[in-house]
Amino acid sequence: MAKLEIRDVTVKHRNVTVIKDARLYAEKGEIIGLIGADGAGKSSLMHAVAGVIRFEGEIAFGGRRFGSPREAEKLKPMIGLMPQGIGLVLYKNLTVSEHLSFFSKIRNLKEDASLDRYRKRLLKMAGLERFTDRPAGKLSGGMMQKLSLICTLIHRPSLLVLDEPTTGVDPLSRRELWKILEEIRESEGTITLMSTAYMQEAAKMDRVYLFDSGTIIASGTAEELTETVKEYVYDPVPCKSERCLSTSHYTYSLDPLEALHKKPTLEALFFINALKRGVEIPQIEVSERESEEPIAQVVMEAKGLTKRFGDFVADDHIDMELKSGEILGLLGANGAGKTTFIKMLLGLYPIDEGELTLLGKPIRSAKDRQGLKARIGYVSQHFSLYKDMTVRENLLYFASMHRIDAAKASSRIERYAKELGFESYMDSLPTELPLGINQRFSVAAALLHEPVVLFLDEPTSGVDAIARSQFWQMLKLLKQKWGIAILITTHYMSEAEYCDRVVLLKEGKKVADDSVENLYRKHPGARSFEEIFLHYYEDGR
Amino acid sequence: MNPGVIKAYILKEFKELVRSRLILIVYILPTMIIILFGYGIRMEVTDARTLIIDNDNSRISRDLSARFDHSKYFDTRVTSGMSEQKALKRIKQARVDILIIIPNGFEKRLLHGEKTEIGVFIDGAFPVRATTMQNYVKGVIYNAAQSLMRKKPENLITINSRNLFNQAMRDEDAIVPGLIGLILLVAPAILSALLIVKEKEEGTIFNFYSSPIKKSEFIVAKLVPPLILHSLNIFILFLWATWLFEVPFRGSFLLYWGAAQIYILISLGVGLLVSIITRTQIVAIVLTIIITIIPGFLYSGMLMPISSMSGESKIEAHIYPVMYFNHIIYDTFLIGQGLDSPKNQLYLAILVFYALFLILLGSWLMKKEIA
Repeated sequence: MAKLEIRDVTVKHRNVTVIKDARLYAEKGEIIGLIGADGAGKSSLMHAVAGVIRFEGEIAFGGRRFGSPREAEKLKPMIGLMPQGIGLVLYKNLTVSEHLSFFSKIRNLKEDASLDRYRKRLLKMAGLERFTDRPAGKLSGGMMQKLSLICTLIHRPSLLVLDEPTTGVDPLSRRELWKILEEIRESEGTITLMSTAYMQEAAKMDRVYLFDSGTIIASGTAEELTETVKEYVYDPVPCKSERCLSTSHYTYSLDPLEALHKKPTLEALFFINALKRGVEIPQIEVSERESEEPIAQVVMEAKGLTKRFGDFVADDHIDMELKSGEILGLLGANGAGKTTFIKMLLGLYPIDEGELTLLGKPIRSAKDRQGLKARIGYVSQHFSLYKDMTVRENLLYFASMHRIDAAKASSRIERYAKELGFESYMDSLPTELPLGINQRFSVAAALLHEPVVLFLDEPTSGVDAIARSQFWQMLKLLKQKWGIAILITTHYMSEAEYCDRVVLLKEGKKVADDSVENLYRKHPGARSFEEIFLHYYEDGR
Repeated sequence: MNPGVIKAYILKEFKELVRSRLILIVYILPTMIIILFGYGIRMEVTDARTLIIDNDNSRISRDLSARFDHSKYFDTRVTSGMSEQKALKRIKQARVDILIIIPNGFEKRLLHGEKTEIGVFIDGAFPVRATTMQNYVKGVIYNAAQSLMRKKPENLITINSRNLFNQAMRDEDAIVPGLIGLILLVAPAILSALLIVKEKEEGTIFNFYSSPIKKSEFIVAKLVPPLILHSLNIFILFLWATWLFEVPFRGSFLLYWGAAQIYILISLGVGLLVSIITRTQIVAIVLTIIITIIPGFLYSGMLMPISSMSGESKIEAHIYPVMYFNHIIYDTFLIGQGLDSPKNQLYLAILVFYALFLILLGSWLMKKEIA
C-alpha cells in the first residue's frame, strides 16, 4: 500500500462541487505535482489532505485513515500545509526568528539543542540567516515564501502540502525553494504534494496530476503525459478549423495537419484538453484605435533614476528607454526594484534622483504629469478593481474617471468585451471570475482611454497557460494595431521571449538591457531564458 | 490544554498589538467615549439666551427680571420698547432662545388684584430642550409670584421637593456610570472579534487549522489578551468617573470590579460570536458596534429607565445583558446597597450565566476548518 492514498475524495464548497472523486497516491520521498487552471480544484483537494476542509471519501496516510477534519486531527502533527498566497501564513509584524520560535511552540516541539540546530539549518537553507531580525512584512516575496516553507517544515512533517509556493516568486528564489524541498525529501523522506503554475517545475516532479474543472483528467510522469498529446502538436502554422489552435510557438490540432511535429511541453496538455472538450477559446482581436494621436518616437526616457527608502537603495541610477511599438520586459528577482521603478514612472513614488522624460515632456513635479495621465495606462500587481461592482460597472466607472462620454464608453466597453473574450462575464463580480479573465478585463480598464503607453506589473502571475498565451496574443496585437509601447514585469522567464527587449534588474541596478536574441548570442550555452537570467544573478554572488 | 501553546499564541498577540499600535486604540477609545459622551450629553440647560422686554419698568417687573438675571440657567438681557415683531425675528435667527414680554401696566393690575399676562416665547426646535426651558421659566415666575403673595393667607401649601441619590440632579451622575457599562460592552468585543477575524482575513488562520492546536487553546489564546488589556480600563474609567466627572462612589469597589470583569467576559463572548460569522475586519467592527452600542445605549437606563418601558422594549431590555450590569453599576456609584440587595445578587448571577453561555456557544459554533 502506498504511503499516501486519496480515495474518491469529493469536496463541496457552499454546495458547489469543486473537486469530484479525486484519486491520488504517493510513495515515501516523492514530489507530486498538481497542475491545472485556476479553479480546477487543486487547492480544495490539498485542503482536504491537510484536514482543513470537510470532504467526502477517504484519505489514508501512513496506515491511518481519515474522512473529516476532526479525524485528521491526530495526523496533523505529521502534516505541513502551506496555503496559496505570498506570505499568507506570516504575521507581518513578527520577525523571522520570532516566526520560527512561534511555529516551534504551537507545534509543541521540545526546545533543545537539536531543535536549535534544525532551525539554524532551515534558516541557512532559506538564505535567511542575515535577516533574522527583519519583520516578515518587510521581506521580498521570494523571501516570504522561503520563510513560510521553513515554518511549515519546522515540525519535520512527513507529508508536505504546498499550494502554489512558487507563484509570483522569481527564478532564483524558486530554485532555492526547490533545493530545500530536495534536501528535505532526501533527509526526511517527506512526501510533497505541490501545485504549480510553472510547467518547467512540474516536469521535474515524480508524477503529475492534471486537473480540469473539478476532476483529475490525467496522471503520470511528465514524459508519459506529453507522450499522449505528441500527435497533436505542430510547429506554428495558421489554423483553419475550430479543432485547431495556434500560439506563437506551437500549433495544436486534433485533425492531422501538413506541418512538422514539435516536441510538446506540459502546457500542450491544457490546449489539447481544451480542444477535446470543445471549450471555446475566444480568439483575441484588437481593432484600430478610435482616436488618432500623434505618438512620440521615444515614449519614456529615464536617466539615472534613483529611489531610496532610508538606507536602502531600491533603484540605483537606472537608465531606460521605451520606444513606441515596443514591448519591453522588466525582469528581476523579488525585491530587485521593478515595482518601485514602475511606481516612479507613474508618480506614485517621488523620484529621489535622476531625470525622467515621459512622452517628450520632462517630469519635474506632479504638475508636469497632469496632461499625461490621459495617455498612460497602468495595471497593478493586484488588479485595482472594485470587488463589489460587476465587470461592466467597473469598466463604466473607469471610463467616467477618464471623462469618456457615456455612449462612447459603453460602445467601447462592448467592443473590448467581445474582442478580448470576456463578454459572457460582463455581469459577474470580479471575485467570481477566473484569474485569466480578471487579468484581461483589468487591461481593458487600462485601455479605455486609448493610452499610448501601458505599464503592466506582473499581470500574469498565477494565470493558467491558455489565458497567458491569449494575454500575450493581446499585447502583440495592441503593439501592431495601436503602436502602443508596453513595459511589463513578469516572473515567467519563458515570457521574456515575447518581449522585443528585456531589462534585467539586480539589487536595484541594471545588469542587462538587450534584445532576447542578442542575449542568447551572448550566452551560447543557454538552453532557456531562465538560464540566462540565473547566469546574471550568479555573477558576483 | 497545553499551556506552552497558549502562552506562545498570547505572546504573539501582544507583540502584534504593540507593533501594529492597535494597543493605543485599546486605551484611547474608552477614554474618548467617556469624555465625549460625558461632556456631550446634557439634559439640563444653562445660560439660555433670554431677552426680556420690560414694557412696564416698575418695581415688580424689575424684580422679576432680576430673578432671571441671577439664575445660572439664563443669560438675560433686559430691554424696553422693542417691538414684538423685532424680538420674534431674533428667535427666528437663533440669536435668542427665550423671549419674555412684560406688558405695560403689569404692576398696576397686579396691585389691583386684576388678572394679567406675561408673554413667553420659546424656541421649540429641540422639544426636550424647549420643555426644560419652559419649566425653568415657569418656575421662576411662580416663585416670584409666590414671594409677592407671601402675606396672603390663601397661600398655605408650598412644595418642598428633594431628589434622593442624585440630590444635585447632576447630569454626570446620571450618565457617566452608564457610559462605563456601554464602553465595557463595546470595546472588548471589538478587540476580541478583530484578533480572530484578522487571522481569517489575512490567511494566518491556516496556522490554526493545519496544526494540532485545540480549539479551546485557540479561543483561550485569543480571549486572554483583550481580557487583560481591558481589565485595566475598569480602573481607568473609574478614575475618570470619580475624579474628572466627580461622580460620588457610595458602594463597594470590589463589587464594581468583580461585576465589570464578568461584564468584560460577556463582551468577549459577543466578539467571539461576531468573529464566527464575519470574514473581514471592517465588517466585524461595524457589526460589533451595531449589536453593542445601540442596545448598550438604549437599554442602559441612561436615557430612559427600564422600569418605565413597556411591551417589546421591556422584553428586549431584559434580553440584553446591559440592564443587569447597569443596575449594579448605578448601585455601586449612587446608592451603595451592594450585595445586600437580593436584586443585585440575582443580576450578578445572570451576568455570570451570560458570560458562560456566550463563550460556550461561541466555542461550540467555531469550526476548525474552512467554512
